[in-house]
Amino acid sequence: MKILLLLLTLAFTLNAAISEGDKAPNFTLKTLDGKKSQTLKDLQGNVVLVNLWASWCKGCKKEMPEFFKLQKAYKKGFKIVAVSVDDDASKAQKFLHSVEKHTGVNVPFITLHDSQKSVAKSYHCAAMPSSYLIDKNGMIKEIIVGSLNADDIKVLKREINQLK
Amino acid sequence: MKITLSIQLLFLALIFLFNGCSDKLTRVMPYEKEHFADPKMSLSPLAERAEHEGHIFLIREASAGGDSAYQGGCGCR
Repeated sequence: MKILLLLLTLAFTLNAAISEGDKAPNFTLKTLDGKKSQTLKDLQGNVVLVNLWASWCKGCKKEMPEFFKLQKAYKKGFKIVAVSVDDDASKAQKFLHSVEKHTGVNVPFITLHDSQKSVAKSYHCAAMPSSYLIDKNGMIKEIIVGSLNADDIKVLKREINQLK
Repeated sequence: MKITLSIQLLFLALIFLFNGCSDKLTRVMPYEKEHFADPKMSLSPLAERAEHEGHIFLIREASAGGDSAYQGGCGCR
């Protein structure tokens, strides 16, 4: 019976989804241009918004200009980490360049490439896009499923200010 | 008897475990849908052409109104 309980616990643990209050799984990924590496742990001490996105995802593309504005509003203490799950990093870069042209602002946040979908898997990404608000201590404070509009960003700003 | 029961329970647990594995293997996760999101995967990738084909279909089948929420295929529109 003990073995059964142990195995069942293991089975449920293996399928357990990530939730608010959990420690954010650490990751190390290359930047979209492939020149640098970035580890989530290195950003500890900042409030971090990990955004899982792709150039083929309409909702992700819709919210991206809002993230440009959001990051521009914070010089210190808040970082957006946009993790692209595109197979081809150039597609993500091409889209970001188009947003740069449209907004007249260079990409103000960290852009990483996750072709292996390792971050999406470890964060149990339920839908595209998904964003994870992480506090200074590396704990997940909010999981946002779906794209954010300008009003949602206002609410998010209040939460970021509380966490800072 | 005890051994048989524990083996049965072990099998039950293994079914739980492997069921989890199979789901992970067969289910296309949201972040894996790049190829599904390709415009050419759409049932009607060319909107204009789809509209034209729909028009031809309605004429040829004499089923005016058959593709909308109201008016059936009675041809009485």
